[in-house]
Amino acid sequence: MRIIGDTNIPFLSYRKIALVLSAVVIAAGLVYEFLGPGLNLGIDFVGGTQIILKFREEPDLGVMRSDIADLDVGTPVIQTFDEADKHEILIRVENPEGEEGDFTRPIIDLLNQDLNSDLDGRFDLNLKGSRELIELLATADPDGVGGDSEVRNLYYEPMADAVLGHRKENGIYFSLDELGDVVDLTADSRDFLEDTAAVGAFSILGAESVGPTVGADLQKKAMLAIGFSLVGMLIYIWIRFQLPYAVGAVVALFHDVLITLIALAVTHREINLPTVAALLTLVGYSVNDTVVVFDRMRENLRLYRGDDLEQLMNLSINQTLSRTIITSGTTLMVVVSLYVFGGDVINTFAFVLLVGIIVGTYSSIFIASPVALSMNKLLVSRRERRRLKGKR
Amino acid sequence: MDSKILWRIALIVVVVGLCLWSLYPPGEKIHFGLDLSGGIHLVLQVQTDDAIKAELDDASQRLVSRAREEGVEIGSPESNISNLSFTVEVPADTDTAALRQVASDWVPGYKASPGVGKWTFQLPPNMDRTVRDMAVRASLETIWNRVDQFGVAEPVIQRQGLESDRILVQLPGVDDPVRVKDLISSTAFLEFQEVVGGPSPDRQSLITGLGGSLPSDSEIVPGDREDIEGNVIGTDYYVLKKAAIISGQELRSARRSQDEYGQAVVNFSTQPHAADKFGQYTASHIGTRMAIVLDNKVISAPVIESRIPGDGRITGNFTIEGAEDLALKLRAGALPATITYLEERTVGPSLGRDSVVRGVQAAIAGLLAVMLFMLVYYKRSGLNADVALVLNIVILLGVMAYFGATLTLPGIAGVILTIGMAVDANVLIFERIREELKVGKTVRAAIDTGFSRAFGTILDANLTTLIAALFLFNFGTGPIKGFAVTLSIGILASMFTAVFVSRTIYMIALGGRERVETLSI
Repeated sequence: MRIIGDTNIPFLSYRKIALVLSAVVIAAGLVYEFLGPGLNLGIDFVGGTQIILKFREEPDLGVMRSDIADLDVGTPVIQTFDEADKHEILIRVENPEGEEGDFTRPIIDLLNQDLNSDLDGRFDLNLKGSRELIELLATADPDGVGGDSEVRNLYYEPMADAVLGHRKENGIYFSLDELGDVVDLTADSRDFLEDTAAVGAFSILGAESVGPTVGADLQKKAMLAIGFSLVGMLIYIWIRFQLPYAVGAVVALFHDVLITLIALAVTHREINLPTVAALLTLVGYSVNDTVVVFDRMRENLRLYRGDDLEQLMNLSINQTLSRTIITSGTTLMVVVSLYVFGGDVINTFAFVLLVGIIVGTYSSIFIASPVALSMNKLLVSRRERRRLKGKR
Repeated sequence: MDSKILWRIALIVVVVGLCLWSLYPPGEKIHFGLDLSGGIHLVLQVQTDDAIKAELDDASQRLVSRAREEGVEIGSPESNISNLSFTVEVPADTDTAALRQVASDWVPGYKASPGVGKWTFQLPPNMDRTVRDMAVRASLETIWNRVDQFGVAEPVIQRQGLESDRILVQLPGVDDPVRVKDLISSTAFLEFQEVVGGPSPDRQSLITGLGGSLPSDSEIVPGDREDIEGNVIGTDYYVLKKAAIISGQELRSARRSQDEYGQAVVNFSTQPHAADKFGQYTASHIGTRMAIVLDNKVISAPVIESRIPGDGRITGNFTIEGAEDLALKLRAGALPATITYLEERTVGPSLGRDSVVRGVQAAIAGLLAVMLFMLVYYKRSGLNADVALVLNIVILLGVMAYFGATLTLPGIAGVILTIGMAVDANVLIFERIREELKVGKTVRAAIDTGFSRAFGTILDANLTTLIAALFLFNFGTGPIKGFAVTLSIGILASMFTAVFVSRTIYMIALGGRERVETLSI
């Protein structure tokens, strides 16, 4: 089977159109980034607190929004996380004015006050930790163990762990009836918990808070990582090929990273550490694609010495076109599968690769080679001039 | 089959076998990162300025009290952290030569600058670093002890960088951040307590020794039993009076020193108000043991040899390191630098497990799609590529298991991405073989040229990705490092499987036949 047969497309003839098209997209994107809402930097880079909660029933986002607005932490982001029927909510707030610190506690306290008022101070199985549960059981001693507090703590610890283990397993206790599923719980203790405990409206699935110092640090590191790897590529290709090719490849890389960032800005996706990892992967992938084409050019230059460079480039791109398309295709297959099945956490990561692979494939054909060609012409003509000067 | 093929097959079997062996059983061998298994990740900062302030306060008070003993009256010491110095008021009629002598004896290294009615003493520059470094090390020590109480398996507690004042704490499986933070950042709890019984290797015999029950004013506290070299060889239990003789807040400083026989000891001094209390107690308890208890653990139980006034000395069978450690622990209790939290991430286990399930789903879907495509597009050569792909994943996971690498969520993405990129090498080779066949080469020649020509390209292309992964590893944190690792291993493995394994498969498939007319590609 064969998707791409023998082609003879004069790719380099389209270079002006391609360069103009890319320039327009990038210019429009940059204008949008600067004038519009810009990049949506996540808490990894600007600092802030992010909490993921699970609710027993469909939560009312409006109530939460007005609750958290009272905390005076800027405009909180409150949105559903993952599939809607899981009743999972993501809350994100920025740390006000460069303040270090964790806002998990105040937010949870606030929501607890507002949403769990019907508990009347009963022990909340969805919010409390294992130490508190051990203490509750050891103090009340429903199984009548006796002895000093140390003995009772030891006795009740496995039970408390089992009760909370059930919550960890499912994310939340929907009702007290679920205590019946906890095998390690004795009947007396279960009766006791059914009387004294209650299930609150929500539980905490995860919480992250990053201070502005670390945020600034991570931002710097991310920039350095991208910057250094671009320079690394430049040097490597310079050594393996020649300067014009290195410049062509790096220009194509900038192009890919910029367009992907623009895509992130337009879709308001959050930029976090995994996003940067995806950007760097894209850098690696895009160069990979370009290098394969350049490699062919080098081989062809040896074979057909003296031919027109533009023709040689066209020939090389056509010869490798089939491989370019197929590899992009197989990589896209897995990235699409990551995008569709990977879940919310990995979604933006997959999105970056999805955009990046398409743009990277385009740029290795329409950007990298034309730029290398122009650079080459520039260098050759300069050398030519210098040679003439020397003769004079 | 000639020996060359046998040799190749043997190598492949050994490599894959080793990987499978290091991978078995997979549940135990592949470590999940915090983002998948659930747990707490904290980055905290030790406010080393606190330690500098304590050092300055300590030095200035020492200078004032020693000067007074020499008959030089100076007063009102004041510490200034921002320019690392302290000032004392020096009346005009002071004997400056005597003051300089006291200063060089008791606050050595400090640079004295006389002024009008006030002298400034500058902290020695190297001491600035030492004090800050000590504060971080003391905090690390304290955090280790406290986390120990949690009984967490495989906690990570380390300094971020050599000179840094940041400490990274990772506690897998713990999901109660508020409690952990309280425990870690509360000031160390240090007490000197009276020993009523012990040490003894088991609690029961202690209680029996006391007549069957523990008196209500006493408690049993464990401590490490150490051999002469300071290695922990077990646990000893002590019966202690609950009421403390003095507490850590009443200590002023502790430092390693030497006694007259050259033996390493630890000198400590108490706050002035605690000195009387401590002196009276020690005077009436000579010959008995006194336990030094840090965070509910006996760190040392020396015998009181004489009345201890404000300044005391702890002797024991200390090595220099042992004395340094104890001083460190005492300082940790006495001079707690405050801790602030810079970064905190808690992942609940259900969230992590969800990610694993989805990641595995995505990997399987992607893998099947790619394998099916290769089969359709390259027919039997596609089968060759598929075998290489499966081996690639086995090797990737095997190497990760062997090195104890951690699988994170981005790491799973890295595995999935490797699937897509690994077939690239095969595609390059197959396309090249097709080209060679088209210009009329024989099957064997086409395969030979295909592999050799494509190899250069594969090397170049993969090295660029490795460069990106290298920087990712260098600058990344936690989960990102995991991604860089899987990506790198995957790329290296793909070069082995696509080039070496695929070639061998062709050799086997075509080896037996005299002449090969067609190739299924």
